[in-house]
Amino acid sequence: MRTFLLRRLPSGLLVLLAASFLIFLILRLIPGDPATSLAGPDAGPEAVAAIRARLGLDRPLLGQYLGWLGDLATGRLGPSYAIGGEVADLIGDSLGATVELTLGALLLVILLGLPLGVLGATVRRGPVAVAVRALTTTVLAIPPFVTGVVLVLVFAVTLGLLPAGGHESILDQPDLGVQYLLLPALCLALPSAAILGRYLKDGLERALAEDYVRTATALGISRRRIVLRHALPNALPPAVTVLGLQVGQLLGGAVLVEAIFAWPGLGQLAEQGVLRRDYPVVQDLLLLLVAVYVAVQLVTDLVYTWLDPRIRWE
Amino acid sequence: MTTLAVGLRRRRLLPAGLHTLRGTAGVLLVGVVVLAGLLAPLLTDADPLAQSGLALAGPSGAHPFGTDDLGRDLFSRVLHGIRTDLLISVTAVPVGAVLGCALALLAATSRGADVAVQRVFDLLLAFPGLILALAVTAVLGPGRWPVVIVIALAEIPGFGRQLRAGILVQREREYALAARVGGASRARVLLRHVLPNAVDPLIVQGAIAFSLAVFIEGAMSFLGVGVRPPEPSLGGILSQSMAYLSTHPGYAAAPLLVVTALVLGLTLIAEALNEGIRR
Amino acid sequence: MSAVLQVRDLKVEFDGVEAVAGVGFELAAGETLGIVGESGSGKSTTALALLRMLPAGGRISGGSVELDGQDLATLAEPALRSVRGRRIAMIFQDPMSSLNPVLTVGRQLDEAVRAHGSAAKPERASRAVELLDLVGIPDAARRLRDHPHQFSGGQRQRIMIALALAGDPEVLVADEPTTALDPTVQQQILRLLERINRERGTALVLISHDLGVIAQTCRRVLVMHQGLVVEHGRTEDVLDRPEHPYTKRLLAAVPRLAEPSTAAANSTPGPEPLLTVTGLAKTYGPRRRPVTALGGVDLVLHPGETLGLVGESGSGKSTLARALVQAHAPSAGEIRYRGEPLTRSRAARREIQLVFQDPYSSLNPRMTVGQILAEPLIAHRLGDAAERAERVGELLTQVGLEPDAADRHPRAFSGGQRQRIGIARALAPRPSVLICDEPVSALDVSVQAQVLDLLSGLQRELGLAILFIAHDLAVVRQASHRIAVMHRGRLVETGPADQVVTDPQDPYTAELLAAVPQLNHRSPV
Repeated sequence: MRTFLLRRLPSGLLVLLAASFLIFLILRLIPGDPATSLAGPDAGPEAVAAIRARLGLDRPLLGQYLGWLGDLATGRLGPSYAIGGEVADLIGDSLGATVELTLGALLLVILLGLPLGVLGATVRRGPVAVAVRALTTTVLAIPPFVTGVVLVLVFAVTLGLLPAGGHESILDQPDLGVQYLLLPALCLALPSAAILGRYLKDGLERALAEDYVRTATALGISRRRIVLRHALPNALPPAVTVLGLQVGQLLGGAVLVEAIFAWPGLGQLAEQGVLRRDYPVVQDLLLLLVAVYVAVQLVTDLVYTWLDPRIRWE
Repeated sequence: MTTLAVGLRRRRLLPAGLHTLRGTAGVLLVGVVVLAGLLAPLLTDADPLAQSGLALAGPSGAHPFGTDDLGRDLFSRVLHGIRTDLLISVTAVPVGAVLGCALALLAATSRGADVAVQRVFDLLLAFPGLILALAVTAVLGPGRWPVVIVIALAEIPGFGRQLRAGILVQREREYALAARVGGASRARVLLRHVLPNAVDPLIVQGAIAFSLAVFIEGAMSFLGVGVRPPEPSLGGILSQSMAYLSTHPGYAAAPLLVVTALVLGLTLIAEALNEGIRR
Repeated sequence: MSAVLQVRDLKVEFDGVEAVAGVGFELAAGETLGIVGESGSGKSTTALALLRMLPAGGRISGGSVELDGQDLATLAEPALRSVRGRRIAMIFQDPMSSLNPVLTVGRQLDEAVRAHGSAAKPERASRAVELLDLVGIPDAARRLRDHPHQFSGGQRQRIMIALALAGDPEVLVADEPTTALDPTVQQQILRLLERINRERGTALVLISHDLGVIAQTCRRVLVMHQGLVVEHGRTEDVLDRPEHPYTKRLLAAVPRLAEPSTAAANSTPGPEPLLTVTGLAKTYGPRRRPVTALGGVDLVLHPGETLGLVGESGSGKSTLARALVQAHAPSAGEIRYRGEPLTRSRAARREIQLVFQDPYSSLNPRMTVGQILAEPLIAHRLGDAAERAERVGELLTQVGLEPDAADRHPRAFSGGQRQRIGIARALAPRPSVLICDEPVSALDVSVQAQVLDLLSGLQRELGLAILFIAHDLAVVRQASHRIAVMHRGRLVETGPADQVVTDPQDPYTAELLAAVPQLNHRSPV
């Protein structure tokens, strides 16, 4: 475990460093000077220059970049330019909502993907097989903005069962929070659940065609046990990798889903930050998301190693 | 996509896959949508941009899908929206595919290149796609090109990782060694022997890539950073209809159906091709 | 003795094509029966049909498989499951893929034990230890926690046998149980099967392509050909006095260790060495824990000579072959060709060509045979398109194929034909040395004999020097002038072919020779 982390951490940090540089660079390419827009249309050049100096924008780019990294390392995120308030507070305020959304979606991905994969691989005929196939292909393959619209149409507009948008913290008011969470989380989860289900189905089908399944059959072990105890452990490690990649997709998808459901999370903050050229907010936020992604990949690899003894012993 | 499907059949690469019920249904769905988009100027003479006083009308003889909030003919807007999406996909997907494959081939040249290319893929995957979209749009401003760039960037790791994995498997096969021993150069072994055996999964990836393109276009419109209004795009029309969902749900119906048909068709094609390969 | 298993007129179809066309036999309790045949004879299908475990698309289309009067061919699935493993069990060819890679051996034994009885967990655990002990895995209790990849190939097959014995079955069906194993390990596994048959009275049905394996282990034998039993009887009767023409042909094609080398009749090796290898070494893996594949090999190969190279898997044979064709650079040592150090130049590489073991994976499935054969010509810039086409035709004729084979893809050819294509490809740039890496071990004996004939004919015609790598000593003796024995990356013995076989100098060579199953061995009666 320690050797594993020692081997994998450097490459993770490298991706993070490269990402930070890219983020910094992209944001500096944005046309328009944040100081000018901050100062307002009536401000004279002195006022703009003063703002530039206050924000450190007059320093050379490399200096700004290193300064940013230094601030990050010491935990000082500093003030936002345009939105107002400290970046740390802004991110802190929206973080909870996004964590709720993505974790809720992740839970749904697993809850939906796992049975879909197992049923898809094992039930060949009959209504269950047709339903599973129809579900993975049709409903789940459709992009979130379509399912979002349909979900709102059906559950909020027509049936009036669930709210069409907005957010209540699930920690403060669990039952109301769940009502608000259900539609956005489902909308976010469906495509990823379909992908997980499909990979698991393929993996299980491959595992079920392996010689060791023939061995188990020859030993008189029941089909059900063969699927769940013999084939599934072989199909899980690759599915875990896919699940790890899907976490990245969920984070990205959250931006969209938050926009559809007016969910006050990091995605909304990022959208605002970009549209109002608030460098500090956007660059810290982007880096945070990349860091989460890198960490998730690391965890995924750890779980994979734990699930597959062949790698564990290498 | 239909041309791709027909082309595949003619080349007899994967005849089994597309001749299944699923494959035919997929080709049919995609074909109808694509044809509707291509023939848009012939199918309707209504200007997709012309506003009128008749806002949010239901379907009628003059307006088969009704009109939108600015009184524009929805039928014409949807058809021209398909055109926009097609144009974007047809530009962006091949660019992403070529870049991804080029990176995968680069990775095959040396161990160092492989590590570097893998990190590039990691990096591209690490940026949540839509946040990347926001950043790119912030630089270039909203419009058609940012959408194309974001789609192309998002397609790179899919194609690249798929091809890299295929090359790694095929390169270990004995025929590759046989070619090398027979005197072929490393480049020739890679391009003439390994590559043709590793490209099959890319065709499936192609179908997936087109549905991803439709997805990104729509998502960017929803975030307000997509194709600039009033130019119609599928995602754009759908996102504009959102505000009227409770009062005029019919507005959303046509774009919803078209996007669903397109993506569903592409998924069916991808599945059919995938089964064809595995067989 | 009463029959425990009674098979009558068994027919198996695959998607309408008959694979087994009416097989019948009976097996007495505690008996040993061998089923021998070449690929496509239906022997493995018959074995699987005994447990009704045919792969998808296959079904029993007629006849019966009666186990103590119960017809397994028509039994309902749940009842069948209680018979499998409990009364009739099966072991398979490849012990690596037949064991579940992610479950511990203990878990797999536990699964097998609990499938037929609801013993409590501690009892099952002690039963698992007992089973591992029985099949001769040392330190059984501790090794229950290990995974299959932590065992050697032979141990894995022992574990497979332990699994099969978990339900204490009356009949054990073994489908090519030793084909994937080295001769010395094969010998141990066969002894284990014999011991189990003797001590526990488990009746054994042994399916093999290797007559020697059957001769050593089974009292009775069934010869299968094209889905039918063409001959059956007591093993020594069938071997000594075969009646069916197919059996006679089969027996004639089996190389015998006792027969002297025929290489001298093909060519007389030249005096000057063509290829000289000195101190060749190759290590793999990380610098801190290197794995030595070749530990300093010296050998010479003369023009027109066949040098047989024998050794078990992992001995470094294939590494040596790949180093000789410069597929990878050696860690140390030198290869000289006609006295000059071998360079990576095209001209030098042209002289040494490789024939592969697997005629399936070594031919590019996307290319036609003509394209495959033209590749080396293009690489070495030999001739224009018309000349290449002519050369392709010539090569195909040379290896005994029709010139019009050039237009077809490899999948249109049988294993033996593909191996001919592989040989033709190696011959294309007109090399003087042919490295043949197990060129016949994937082939049926009758096909094997034809390919061996082809190779010796080519040597006669072209004066080729051949490094003939194989694990089958009888084949190597027949084909080679000299034999080199390889063990753990080193050559332990080199000498004239007949002398190495009849008078081995190294104990390892003697061990290898003793492990070869021979047709004149008799199973204990």
